[in-house]
Amino acid sequence: MRPGFLLLAAALLAAAFPFGPARAAGDAARGRALAEEHSCGGCHGPQGVSGQPNIPSLAGQPADFITLQMILFREVLRDAPPMPDLAQGLSDQQIEDLAAHYAALPSGPAEDRGPRDAGRFHDGALLAERLRCGICHLPDYRGRMQIPRLAGQREEYLAGAMAQYRDGRRHGSDTNMNAVMYGVTDAEIAALAHYMAQQ
Amino acid sequence: MMRTCLALGLTAVLALPAMAQQAATPPAPSWAQGRPDGMAASPLAPHAPRMTVTAPDQVPVAALRVPQGFKVELWASGAPGARMMAEGPNGTVFVGTRTIGRVYAVTDQGGQRQVRTIAQRLNQPNGVAVRDGNLYVVAINRVLRYDGIEGKLDAPGEPADLTQAFALSPEEHHGWKFLAFGPDGRLYMNRGVPCNVCEFDRDRFALILSFNPDGSGQRIEAKGVRNSMGFDWHPQTRELWATNNGRDWAGNDTPEDTLLRIRRPGEDHGFPYCAANWQDPFMQPGRPCSEFVAPAALLGPHTASLGMRFYTGTAFPEAYRNQIFIARRGSWNREQLSGYDVVVAKLDAQGNVTGIEPFLTGLRDEANNRFLGRPVDVLVRRDGSLLVSDEQNGAIYRITHGQ
Ligand code: HEC
Ligand code: HEC
Repeated sequence: MRPGFLLLAAALLAAAFPFGPARAAGDAARGRALAEEHSCGGCHGPQGVSGQPNIPSLAGQPADFITLQMILFREVLRDAPPMPDLAQGLSDQQIEDLAAHYAALPSGPAEDRGPRDAGRFHDGALLAERLRCGICHLPDYRGRMQIPRLAGQREEYLAGAMAQYRDGRRHGSDTNMNAVMYGVTDAEIAALAHYMAQQ
Repeated sequence: MMRTCLALGLTAVLALPAMAQQAATPPAPSWAQGRPDGMAASPLAPHAPRMTVTAPDQVPVAALRVPQGFKVELWASGAPGARMMAEGPNGTVFVGTRTIGRVYAVTDQGGQRQVRTIAQRLNQPNGVAVRDGNLYVVAINRVLRYDGIEGKLDAPGEPADLTQAFALSPEEHHGWKFLAFGPDGRLYMNRGVPCNVCEFDRDRFALILSFNPDGSGQRIEAKGVRNSMGFDWHPQTRELWATNNGRDWAGNDTPEDTLLRIRRPGEDHGFPYCAANWQDPFMQPGRPCSEFVAPAALLGPHTASLGMRFYTGTAFPEAYRNQIFIARRGSWNREQLSGYDVVVAKLDAQGNVTGIEPFLTGLRDEANNRFLGRPVDVLVRRDGSLLVSDEQNGAIYRITHGQ
């Protein structure tokens, strides 16, 4: 490999991938009103930080990620009750507005987050390094574009999502996550989820 | 190495739970297969798709450039994820997609285009083809036929389900299909390789296949084709020509995508051993390129050369007759973006490619290393105009000549 590759790669990373076309973003204020109207906060938390098991936090997720998942729900291509039902009838613009709203909220861990387990955290860190999670999700796991934030997400939700990818029950717009999770054991998933949730 | 790759290749996406539990220390995941250590930290990853409607005034049509004498305009928009195109006898343009799971029908309505969603909730219905007024749609592991489709665009009803007869493979990785009818009346489609690069059953994957329209009589038309997302037949010689995507993670300039000329059914084009006249060092033991058919032309590294058609109309200047238009969706596995355009492969009377020339440009912003859109397919309409689908903007452009 050319020696310049790593340097340039780092520069690209810092620029947070300006590859995609510029586009009119959703309107966060309209999104907030919509979220209230649809009671999204009843499940995902009033500020987008979820206090309920198996319901993910949305605060600070990249807008592209939320938009794509909402489209997959609406088109009934991601089977994850109750979301497909809840997404029916939302227009593309409304989805982009909702995404802008949640992307703008400050991310943070759930209030009911448990204490850090040094052993599992350490295992998770080593696995994340070996499986290169940070390459796509960024080194601080805040996500970018269609790639979600993992840092501070609910632990049991992360573990469930990873098992779904591994077992072929969830697919994104590409098969990267399915391939990443290939052969990862339940114990390894638990360590990864703990590590990410404790960021 | 080879044994683990074999296992990975065939199950990468199925990720059979039983096997998954056994493999204690799996090798590099398949998204990073064939990735040299020097690239381990590369942040390159597929670009985000856009699955919401791009308003007409946001479609970057003003940035598009075509050669002197040609005109390009926005023909249709509001079709998120628009990819492969096929024209019906009455002029309806059918459009397949991947992530959003829909098939669109675009009709001319008094100078305006109407876009209808005629099928949805399908798993990557990329392949569309029309024969005798019937629309064939191929998703991953699904084949559907909508009879007399143009007479019932508002209520297409339930299609005939031909899935069982075709017995496609369920692999998702490179499992979406390009679909077209050949001049022999058979239905042709690709079957991509279920990995980036790996050892696999070369009679099952990396193929172009043909079938009778009812799914019987499967035949291998070409082997060693990593993933072809476009092919067409030479209007005079009736030879099959195809685009082919090179693999990722072998460097910014290696290997190039290729244009293949398939002179005899069943010919071997070399993947995974050889691609674009380059023997892949990942395969050990390797096989030299001299064992395989050489490509007709190279189409640039990582350009994602997809839809291609011979120009069969008369509306463009004579020089374009029987030349090949090729849509290059554009790279992700390259630091400096490549592709994001439509090129023309120039052929001489013997069918040798004499050059690859730019045709539709402007979607790649070189200075800022950004892209504005992603051309996936080209379609020559019966009126001789050329349509170009832009997946990123959910739009279709129309290119005409003169006035
Ligand atoms: C009744 C509870 C409930 C309500 C109300 C609800 N959600 Fe959800 N949402 C869920 C659950 C549960 C999941 C996780 C589903 C799964 O993965 O199995 C989810 C998942 C999501 C996800 C995917 C996030 C990720 O990390 O993958 C998004 C985005 C989302 N919801 C947005 C919304 C929006 C926007 C609204 C309001 C329009 C909303 N939700 C209302 C329960 C709810
Ligand atoms: C090659 C890029 C890539 C790598 C490497 C990668 N991811 Fe992902 N990840 C993605 C993409 C893209 C998505 C969104 C997929 C979708 O739409 O379902 C995703 C989604 C996820 C989700 C779903 C989160 C949610 O809120 O729904 C989890 C959990 C996850 N990744 C964990 C990981 C972990 C842990 C690793 C390392 C072991 C990892 N990823 C490595 C690209 C990657």
